[in-house]
Amino acid sequence: MALSRSMRACLHSGRLALLAILVSGGIVLQVLACALYNNWWPMLTVLMYLLLPMPLIFFLGSDTSSMMSTGGDGWVNFTKFLTGASIVGSIAIPSILKHAGIIGWGALTMELSSFVVFGVAILWFLQMNGEDEYSGVF
Amino acid sequence: MDSNNLLAAWPIVAPGVAGAVFGAGWWFWIDAVVCSAAAVPFLHYLPGFFASFAALMFNCVSREDIGDSYYSPYDDSEWRVKLWLFISYVVSFVSLAGAVGFLVQDALTDSGPSAWTGSAGVLQCVFVLVSGLIYWTCHSED
Repeated sequence: MALSRSMRACLHSGRLALLAILVSGGIVLQVLACALYNNWWPMLTVLMYLLLPMPLIFFLGSDTSSMMSTGGDGWVNFTKFLTGASIVGSIAIPSILKHAGIIGWGALTMELSSFVVFGVAILWFLQMNGEDEYSGVF
Repeated sequence: MDSNNLLAAWPIVAPGVAGAVFGAGWWFWIDAVVCSAAAVPFLHYLPGFFASFAALMFNCVSREDIGDSYYSPYDDSEWRVKLWLFISYVVSFVSLAGAVGFLVQDALTDSGPSAWTGSAGVLQCVFVLVSGLIYWTCHSED
């Protein structure tokens, strides 16, 4: 399907806008999980969300291929390690809070759905970036 | 997803998987400590810490340091690397044994930590050591 340049630019900014809506939706869900129940413990998960996009922040701007290459220098591997740990942490913190009885089922569901929304946004952003560079590999 | 593709993608995702497994191990332990009715004595924390330390230790060694391809008649420093690895193995096995011992103790006595605390300790040790192994496979692949 051949799109004209202006159409493609319009579609691209439309996708960026949708991405921004997804991210703000995730933030809203996270804050709601605390505000609706007047229990601010779930905000601890924000610590994990800060660690999550670290490889993207540090390495996406410089050279995308370094993230996807097999060699991987030490720091890229370490940031991937942090991402893996923070993914598990964002699921673990709400579950531990629920297990200890500090939050209820509603807050847990909202926390987990906020995590899913953030995950979808990051994956979609990665895919969009990959398309831009016309690389067939993701 | 055929196995060939999976094998090619492994070095890219291995550090992330290692981080996830490491996190899972520690979060199980934190859950057991937070939800424990009885106070968990400091001694029970030690197997987890030593397992993490051992995982760090054997990740400091890259694979080519102990390979046969690197041989020089004037080089006798190979024994240092092997000693380092040996000590890290000893520490990891002792921490694993300690965690299992604490599980048995927790299961048998009613006072003190519950059986969940003991099992979480064993899970923590196992996951942390497995995570160290996974990370080791990725950083010395050329």
